[in-house]
Amino acid sequence: MNITRQSACLGLAGILLAGPALADDAARIRELEKKLERSMQRIDELSAKVQRLEQGATAAAPAADQEARVEALERRVGQLGDGISRRVLEDNTLLRGFADVGAGYSGENNPSFGRGRKGFGVGNLDLYLTPQIGERVRSLVELNFEVGEDGHTDADLERAQLGYAFSDAATVWLGRFHTPYGYWNTAYHHGAQLQTSLSRPRFLDFEDRGGILPAHTVGTWLSGSVPAAAGQFGYDLYGGNAQRIETDAGRRTLNPMAWGRRDSAYTAGFNAWLEPGAVDGLRLGLHGLRSTIEDDAAAPNRTRLAMVGGYGVYQANHWEVLAEYFQFGNRDLSGGSGLHRSRAGYAQAGYAWGAVTPYARLESARLDQRDSYFLSQYYGRSYRRGVLGLRYDLDPRAALKFEFANTDQRDLGAANDRYNEARIQYSIRF
Amino acid sequence: MAIRKTFLAASAFAALGAQADGYVIAHLTVNVAPEEVRQIFTGNMQFSGARRLVPVDNGAVQGDFLYKVVRMDPDRYNAVWTRKAFREGVAPPPVLLSDQEVMDFVRRTPGAIGYVGTNPGSANVILKY
Repeated sequence: MNITRQSACLGLAGILLAGPALADDAARIRELEKKLERSMQRIDELSAKVQRLEQGATAAAPAADQEARVEALERRVGQLGDGISRRVLEDNTLLRGFADVGAGYSGENNPSFGRGRKGFGVGNLDLYLTPQIGERVRSLVELNFEVGEDGHTDADLERAQLGYAFSDAATVWLGRFHTPYGYWNTAYHHGAQLQTSLSRPRFLDFEDRGGILPAHTVGTWLSGSVPAAAGQFGYDLYGGNAQRIETDAGRRTLNPMAWGRRDSAYTAGFNAWLEPGAVDGLRLGLHGLRSTIEDDAAAPNRTRLAMVGGYGVYQANHWEVLAEYFQFGNRDLSGGSGLHRSRAGYAQAGYAWGAVTPYARLESARLDQRDSYFLSQYYGRSYRRGVLGLRYDLDPRAALKFEFANTDQRDLGAANDRYNEARIQYSIRF
Repeated sequence: MAIRKTFLAASAFAALGAQADGYVIAHLTVNVAPEEVRQIFTGNMQFSGARRLVPVDNGAVQGDFLYKVVRMDPDRYNAVWTRKAFREGVAPPPVLLSDQEVMDFVRRTPGAIGYVGTNPGSANVILKY
């Protein structure tokens, strides 16, 4: 009994002592509960706000806008890529060219062409650029410096052609270009180091160096190539100012009339070729040219120039074989002498033993002297020539060539001349 | 023992063969047939549909590629492009110096086509040679 009383007394005393502390805790708990409730409300508000913002952002960017943004992004990436590729292409705009020097002996001696040259000489310095402006714009500019027979250096804007490539099948050029007849004229032209031989066939030489064909045209040129069942097919279609035979330094030669003409005479031509898939390195072609050519005589002679021809080229297995043929059927438009037929051609073959390439060429031109087109031209005389040569490649870009030629110059009457020439040439490309 | 030697020799030969392999790769925008690669690298094919092709040479493995795919030695290849540039105003392919440079260029350049000597992974492989 005593123990029970004591315990009860102690419990009462504890309650009396602990009463104020319990009251404080309850107040703190209520305060905490209130804070927690406010925090929960705040969290709910923030969650709702975030949800509203997310919904708002999605609603503000409808599908069309998103697609536009994606497309814009793709364009930017594409432009970045195009910019990089364009930069690489533009970095390729280098000054390229050819140069050659040499020495020679010519036994030529006749009243028409005089005595041949002997000694050392400077050939050509030919510079060209091919700026790549964008994906489809093409440009080709060529400047040639050469020493004329009077010893002065002449500068010629050989080519100034700007083009646009629609596809592999069609590139349109405008300006002054190498007339795309046959093969040699566009493949080598002033690139002495490119051609195996030292000399060009004379009838295909430049207008002021013995050529009888308009090597340059100022006009427009459509060119292209496409795969065909039998191989690769290519073509050239061109038209421009008709050339004119004019007197320059006492010689009548063809002028491409780069400034335009006062009349409406035009040149037009084509070239079509096939590279058969069955024979690697072979190209076969047909070409034609038509023009109205006038000379600068007091009573000008006018001729309807009509030329057709064919060629074959084989460049593989160490061989290089070239052959071209030109047939003329020119009609006298001013003198009434009718139709005159002439022909010219050459065949050349070379075989490369490592760096050494011996070669041989036969060329011939039978030109009707009643045809004012040939008669008016200083170099429009028939001839035959045989050529033997040796090319030694000091480097893939430098060649040393030795050439011996025997020429039978005709159409000079009693002064027909047969003579030998020996020449050496050192040529480079860069 | 003999079998093991044979196996090792065969493995080594296979490894050498794998090293000699090359891959012609192209940007995803390029869709060309394997037999067109030679035409592209000799300048006869410059477009794939409306897309202008941008061939790029790889100086690190150029000789192997030219021999196996273009079937030319480097001198003739350069001569072909010199004639192409001289006649048609077409610039030759730029030359990059490593597989990585070619892969980076091809990946980021629409119309690009190049070749590498190592496995290009997920790149658009046109031809394995």
